[in-house]
Amino acid sequence: MLWFVARRVLLMVPALLAISALVFAVIQLQPGGFLTQYLEDPRFSPQTVETIKRQFGLDQPPHIQYLRWIQGIVTRGDFGYSFLNGRPVGSLIWERLGWTVFLAVLTIACTWLIAIPLGIYTALRPRGTAATIVNLVSYLGQAMPDFLLALLLIALVLSRGGANVGGLFSPDYIGAPWNWARLRDMVAHLWIPIAAISLEGVAGLMRQMRAQLLDVLGADYVRTARAKGAPERTVVWKHAVRNAINPLISLAGLSLPTLISSTILVSIVLNLPTIGPFLYDSLLNKDQYVVTTLLLFSSLLLMVGNLLADLALAWMDPRIRYQ
Amino acid sequence: MRRLAWLWIFVVAVVGLVLPVSAADKPVRGYESLGVVAGKQGGRLTMILGDSPPSFFYYGVIDSNLQALSQHLYDGLVEYNYRTYELEPALAEKWTISKDGRLYTFYLRRDVKWQDGRDFTADDVVFTFDQIVTNPEARAGDAGAFMVGGQRVRFEKVDTYTVRLTLPRAAPATLQYMRLYIMPKHKLLPHSVEGGAKPVDINSAWPTTVDPREVIGTGPFRLQAYVPGQKVTLVRNPRYWKTDAGGMRLPYLNQIELLIVRDPEQQVAQFLAGNVGQLNLSGAQFPDLKSRQQAGAPFKVISSRTLFGSPPHLAFNFDARNPELARLFSDLRWRQAMQMAVNRQRIIDDVYNGLAELPGHGVAPISSWYFDTRSFLGKFDLQGAARALDELGLRTGPDGVRQLQSGRPLEFTLTYGTDSAVWPPIATILQNDLKQIGVKVNLQGILSRTLLSTGLSGNYEALLLAFGDQPDPELRKPIWQPGGALYYWHRTTQPATPGGEPNFAAMQPWERQVYDIWETGGTTVSRPQRKALYDKWQVLFAQNLPVIMIAKPMAVGAIQNRYGNYLYSLGVIPGYNPVPLIFQK
Amino acid sequence: MTEAVPAVPSPPSSVWRRFRRSGPGVISAGILLLLYAAALLAPFLAPYSLVEQHPDLIHQPPQRVHIIRDGRLVRPFIYPMVRKRDPITFVASFAEDRSRPLPIQLFERGDTYSLFGARMDRHLFGVKGGTLFLLGTDAFGRCLLSRILVGSQVSLTVGVVGVAISFAIGIIVGGVSGYYAGVLDTLIQRLIEILLSIPRLPILLALATVIPAAWPSGYVYVGIVAVLSLIGWAGLARVIRGQVIAMRQLEYVTAARASGLRDLRIILRHIMPNLSSYLIVTATLALPGYILGESALSFLGLGVKEPMASWGLLLRDAQNFRALRLYPWLLAPGALIVISVMAFNFVGDALRDAADLQSV
Repeated sequence: MLWFVARRVLLMVPALLAISALVFAVIQLQPGGFLTQYLEDPRFSPQTVETIKRQFGLDQPPHIQYLRWIQGIVTRGDFGYSFLNGRPVGSLIWERLGWTVFLAVLTIACTWLIAIPLGIYTALRPRGTAATIVNLVSYLGQAMPDFLLALLLIALVLSRGGANVGGLFSPDYIGAPWNWARLRDMVAHLWIPIAAISLEGVAGLMRQMRAQLLDVLGADYVRTARAKGAPERTVVWKHAVRNAINPLISLAGLSLPTLISSTILVSIVLNLPTIGPFLYDSLLNKDQYVVTTLLLFSSLLLMVGNLLADLALAWMDPRIRYQ
Repeated sequence: MRRLAWLWIFVVAVVGLVLPVSAADKPVRGYESLGVVAGKQGGRLTMILGDSPPSFFYYGVIDSNLQALSQHLYDGLVEYNYRTYELEPALAEKWTISKDGRLYTFYLRRDVKWQDGRDFTADDVVFTFDQIVTNPEARAGDAGAFMVGGQRVRFEKVDTYTVRLTLPRAAPATLQYMRLYIMPKHKLLPHSVEGGAKPVDINSAWPTTVDPREVIGTGPFRLQAYVPGQKVTLVRNPRYWKTDAGGMRLPYLNQIELLIVRDPEQQVAQFLAGNVGQLNLSGAQFPDLKSRQQAGAPFKVISSRTLFGSPPHLAFNFDARNPELARLFSDLRWRQAMQMAVNRQRIIDDVYNGLAELPGHGVAPISSWYFDTRSFLGKFDLQGAARALDELGLRTGPDGVRQLQSGRPLEFTLTYGTDSAVWPPIATILQNDLKQIGVKVNLQGILSRTLLSTGLSGNYEALLLAFGDQPDPELRKPIWQPGGALYYWHRTTQPATPGGEPNFAAMQPWERQVYDIWETGGTTVSRPQRKALYDKWQVLFAQNLPVIMIAKPMAVGAIQNRYGNYLYSLGVIPGYNPVPLIFQK
Repeated sequence: MTEAVPAVPSPPSSVWRRFRRSGPGVISAGILLLLYAAALLAPFLAPYSLVEQHPDLIHQPPQRVHIIRDGRLVRPFIYPMVRKRDPITFVASFAEDRSRPLPIQLFERGDTYSLFGARMDRHLFGVKGGTLFLLGTDAFGRCLLSRILVGSQVSLTVGVVGVAISFAIGIIVGGVSGYYAGVLDTLIQRLIEILLSIPRLPILLALATVIPAAWPSGYVYVGIVAVLSLIGWAGLARVIRGQVIAMRQLEYVTAARASGLRDLRIILRHIMPNLSSYLIVTATLALPGYILGESALSFLGLGVKEPMASWGLLLRDAQNFRALRLYPWLLAPGALIVISVMAFNFVGDALRDAADLQSV
């Protein structure tokens, strides 16, 4: 087991190197440069352009820039410098990481808490009106672009005279000390992003849960359990549901990094102080070390998530053994 | 200019006799015509910041959000009058300029305090210009503005409250640059060369992680707190050196909050929800908000003519890669025909919702430098344009598209910005109208931020772009002087080496004339003489159409009814900040 | 790790029979057929061209079709619209000009277009001496219905072309990897793992910003399809590899190998057909991702560009509060995105149930 984990962790290193090189190369292919946006400013002479290029090391060929950056990470734990913000990349990401992780964890939790019961319910009562409605909403949720949903939700709140139209807090509570009023204010704001982000996830997960459960309910051992005269409740909950959830665990591992990076659009529409819009801005401005570091970080999260999911699966399901 | 300064001294003296204000204070008065009334102290205003400021050090990064934030924190030696856009005293109580225009003496306002209580003196002024602004490594410095004729301007402290500038030769635009914000020497010395640091270190002063108490200015508000990515909070500077007309100390507001909101729709949502007090709008947003106001919403939507703001133009590349097109685009008759095909009225009506006016040529119509060139704009006349194209020998082919002499179809690519409310509709309207006179336009949309670099690279045929107008034409010299760094529609006029002589051989006769006007204008001291020169330039511009000006947009803004004294401002012009006058009712 | 269990495909005929019994699946398939047929015939169905502007009729709401005149049932007709502007708010309002009823004509002459190589100027319907905008107009007075119809050509093909490309890559790479095993397999697996470890949306955005601005809109379309499908193939290749590994051991494959058939031929002719139902279901379920991906790129201004149109690009005009309040009909392309994505999902799910492929 330990050997398995060690091997997987070791394998991550070359993969991460390859990813960083790939991403760096893609950014270099982008037309234009970080400095193009400043050209209209009368203060920006050709000499200034040269000076800044030299200050940032942009006068070096790309592979030297890349190797220097890698060297900085390995030797000093320095993830480079943000041209746009004039600060080390590490501290910039750190600043935004808290809310990003908070939102991601909360959204995953909500997705699972809603999707699993709904999936069980629709599997057990496939023909009821409620199941039909749930089904239809789940299909709708999957088909609706999340940015459009977020916008429509804001419009709805606005038309009802609400003030919680974006961000995580009302202006008064930003940076204020925690108390009940602030918590209430946050909850009033949070439901919009959580609804917009998790609806799609809920729809997918719910249908997977339903499919798995229907599969398991048809399996031999469930029939045996029923034949033995075990009460229906025990059959469903103890035998079927537990086994049906197992395959979904590997999905949980995949969802953490996606929630950090694929909430870009919702975060832009809803003005959330997360990493997503920061990544998008950096991408457009060709702030190369920020983009590469963020993508590297998301990839690492994905790999770690996968590993954790595999381990959880082994722990939950005694049939799986890793050598 | 000097007359104005004396007038101010006179006004200050008279007010000083009548009201018990300190001689050092500047009363802000004379704006009754703009609707300014006496306000009351207190209250809070929340405004929008388009993104997180990258730093708190104004001269460290060129960034519009940092500029919007900095205007509340700092002052320059001079500033603009809100109504006339003329320069008037700010931190400098008065100034004198020698007859030959080479010696500027600024007499600083006494008793002005930095927000931490230290005295503001000539040392701070000299330090700001010597160690920061003219430091070539400062990323948002302006070393170029203080290089006159290849030599540096000299800054000297005469006494504690007097600063002298010595110029190698006369350069009347220098006074404009004295709007630059003055920084506290006692806080920034360690980051400067004088304080023992490397020149480049000045850029790392005051990062956003700094203790807000370190970031101090002389301005109406001081930095109180910053929540990364969400909000900047500013509080009233109780020692500010301006008073209102009645002698009450400005600013009125106790607090300013700058909410960081990137998405324009989210900005509108925050305003409609009442979380934000003031919002700048585009013409396209006007009908929605104005009709909400009519329906009883608690805010006002205001549109006003403004000096600042960017009038779009249509440029044809004189040096287009296709030699046949280059020859055509360099021909004045072509550009005249194109001007006739620009439906300015429709663009003003449909793109700007009527919130724009006919453009000036390089100068805003509201500016005192403006020369009325409207008669040169002509009328929208597709038949006339078609006739003009006929006369150029561009005959219509069987498919309805005109043909060049070589027999190839007359088509060109029009590059525009996709991520804007203005460029796509203008481009589409032009394409549609030109199609009717047999000119095929291929649209090429790119991100607006790359428009100028595309123009400067010369890799385009026609381009839609806008340059901001400024109160003094001299500030836009690199754009409009042939051979200037931003004169992108005729790149062959550029000097062979940066800073060298431009390529006169490539210039058309009128371009040479314009070049000479700018050269003379840059060293002429007398205001009437400069005005005459720039009038001539505007006429040459309007006649020869280096670019075809399209419209001058008005400024549109919305403000909640609970605030008074709202003068529209784009918010990022150093030396033009009417926020201290805003009060909460 | 657990290997994918080989899908046990049902015979196509029984799949079809079972699919027909799924109500939503059949209805959705019908809707999709209609949408694709409309996209194919778009220039004929659309009363106007993609770019025709009507400056006097900007932001006109959908026009009402009348069938009763003076209390009698007549052939469908409309009244021309007259635009007025509020002098203060500049909000446009439209009124019907009741004095001039215009009957809707079938096979009306309009601007010329080419369809299946033939140049034509007849449109399915239109009016003489006026304009007919059944879904209203946009900020330039362009017919929204026409733009949606022509835009569907982009939106509905992005998915098909993209899936085709990513499947071609996925099948070949996955097949080769699973069939040969060994070092090649290990290398390909590492590559796929790396590609799968890069989060999807950021790399999509990064690649989309690489598309040169100077490209004409047709190339940009190709570029976007390429970008979308380059990201999609890796996951598919991995699953196909698993299936191929399992199938390699099956008797008929061993027999085919023994009879000396070429490897690629075995992969494509003997192994893949057995995966066909699996592939069809996967493809159907992958299509919506492309439609949504295109709309996400368009939302950020990185998608297809004027003068081309796509549903995502058209929806962009509706993504602001002024449109939601004053011009709500601009949301119509959004409705079509939702409808088509839902239809693909319904069909995919019904196919999956019919083919008994719960693992997809």
